[in-house]
Amino acid sequence: MAKIEDLKEEAKKLLREGKVKYIIGYGAGTNGWLAAPLFIKKPEDVDKLVWDPTCVHNLVRFLVDEKRRKARQKQPDKRPVGIMVKGCDSRAVVVLLQEKFIDRNDVYILGVSCENTGVVDDAKLAKKLAGKKAKKVEVDARNRFVITTEDGKVEVAAEDLLAERCLECKANFPVIYDLLSGEKTKRSLDKPFGSLEKIESLSSAERWSFWKEQLDKCIRCYACRSACPMCYCDECVVDSINLAVTADTTADEKAQRIRWIQRSAESSENLIYHLVRAIHLAGRCIDCGECERACPLDIPLRFLNKKLEKEAKELFGYEVGFDAALPALISCFRDEDPQDFIR
Amino acid sequence: MEKTLVKKSFPRWIQKLDSWQVYFPRRDEEGRWNYVEADGGEVSLDVLQTTLPPKKILFPQREVFLEFAATLAGNQETLEIKEVLPEVKPTVIIGPRPCEARAAWMLDEVFSGEFKDVYYWKRRDQTTLVGFACTTPPSENCFCTSVEGSPHSEEGLDILLTDLGDRFYVQSLTPKGEKLISAAKELFAEPAPGDKKQAKALHAESEKKIRRQLKNARPISEKLKGMFDSPLWDEESMSCLRCGICTYLCPSCHCFDINDEVENHSPLRGQRVRTWDTCQFPDFTMHSSGHNPRPDKASRLRQRLLHKFQYFVQVYDKFMCVGCGRCISLCPVGIDIIKVLDKVRDHGA
Repeated sequence: MAKIEDLKEEAKKLLREGKVKYIIGYGAGTNGWLAAPLFIKKPEDVDKLVWDPTCVHNLVRFLVDEKRRKARQKQPDKRPVGIMVKGCDSRAVVVLLQEKFIDRNDVYILGVSCENTGVVDDAKLAKKLAGKKAKKVEVDARNRFVITTEDGKVEVAAEDLLAERCLECKANFPVIYDLLSGEKTKRSLDKPFGSLEKIESLSSAERWSFWKEQLDKCIRCYACRSACPMCYCDECVVDSINLAVTADTTADEKAQRIRWIQRSAESSENLIYHLVRAIHLAGRCIDCGECERACPLDIPLRFLNKKLEKEAKELFGYEVGFDAALPALISCFRDEDPQDFIR
Repeated sequence: MEKTLVKKSFPRWIQKLDSWQVYFPRRDEEGRWNYVEADGGEVSLDVLQTTLPPKKILFPQREVFLEFAATLAGNQETLEIKEVLPEVKPTVIIGPRPCEARAAWMLDEVFSGEFKDVYYWKRRDQTTLVGFACTTPPSENCFCTSVEGSPHSEEGLDILLTDLGDRFYVQSLTPKGEKLISAAKELFAEPAPGDKKQAKALHAESEKKIRRQLKNARPISEKLKGMFDSPLWDEESMSCLRCGICTYLCPSCHCFDINDEVENHSPLRGQRVRTWDTCQFPDFTMHSSGHNPRPDKASRLRQRLLHKFQYFVQVYDKFMCVGCGRCISLCPVGIDIIKVLDKVRDHGA
């Protein structure tokens, strides 16, 4: 993993010179081993920044909040915000730029390279430690993970602890940045969609029963949606909060407003919620894995998005989040696009 | 009544409870603990914290209140409405931690008072809670002792089990508890001399094993009264994702929504249902006028904390937080209620 001394220097300078409003980065968490998002406004707080394999979060999600906050302010501060991004996260920035949700001048991108490693999967770590509590996770010079626990250090090969998405990462370094910490290293990737093999080999009946069991667990806390930088709709289909109400709106109309998905956490409603979300992410998901990580019930949501990523690649030769100048997949048509589904 | 129960006999005790609906925690493939219905399968006694607290059994996420259906005879439409009350078998929940039982005891308060919630009480009256004293804290973020609970609290429980190694020290605390023991009398033995002392020693020891602490919780309630407009909420909520994890998985949070779920429009047919709701969702306080008095995540985080540590204290004289630590452990961005309340306490000091 990259050293971030240069990043810290730059961050201090940006804040000192007032070039950014604040910086979104990673700091030490207080609830265990995981880092936590950190918002820095003062140059003297920059030293609280951390960069280690526990920086799992995709901070790009907070650019959505920033945009909403700005929209509410009468005289918004138009300076950019600084943001720390990993390779995957940087591709989320690219998508937001492609979709014109943000402007390039809204962000100052502090890129950090995962180099030859990536971030830790908490379930794998818990299994490895068998009850012991991790205090810190670091990477040594040979790209091995060193975990500090209450009774000493444990050394593990990176591959054994890396999050699944890191094992299938296409670029371990940011593809867009104003400053880059670390090297642009690319790991060789034999099977970019390897994790799908097992589920694709199942019959449709088997897949149905797999997904039914998984989605029945859903309690609709919407952590998946909330953690996702691409889920930036002002009104989500499950919320229906923006019913236009005038003095003439009758109580009946209010009561009869369309609810596409009921609030009940039941099989049919859960299924529709997750399918709607998956379809809306087709050609947009950059596989940061945050939906799956945030899920308190371990629903393997990444499969849904990975499958659509694969479809986009196979049908349209489209890879998400590498070029901000390209039109977004679902908002463009090319003559060579497959048309054999039109009969 | 105090007894002991050999661990080997535990599955036989559950078998004997065949006229009850029994729930206990089981670990799934991902390593998470969940309450499941007893099916004669294996019973684990090394339970850590379940992801969903037993609240989901007493106060299910979805509950049907009534069913409605219109029938058309000629031009005349008549609407038939049928009340649906839960039909609940006598139920035993084995596995609650003392904090979760204390939370049930809080739900009891909320669903009583001026209006007795018949749906809740249909279940609650039929339910017996058999809890395990936490001789080892089930979560690294446990802090029950800071919020007037303890790892061996009896509040809300019918039976408290304390692990003595090969046996449990069994304290039956209510007539419901007695009934459960009488169902398998032959399995329970009189405590040996010293058992009680050993259990007491383990209880005292367990309090010292709690790793996290919220100091001076009571003064925080007072302090909060003057902090409604503090910039602290903005700062602390910056990383909030506005998901429902902290509240849905909280054993004491109990807010709900009521909706008519229409299955068919013509003729009209559907159900009126109650579902969990949370102050963390933007539409929770959305008025039909379009105005939202809690428009941002700062006001929503503030609401969660004020409800638990100020409003509830004013009404019921206890915290609506039992210190299970789930909201800390499961928050995807590491928002830590202890840390936030520490800042409240030290604010302006």
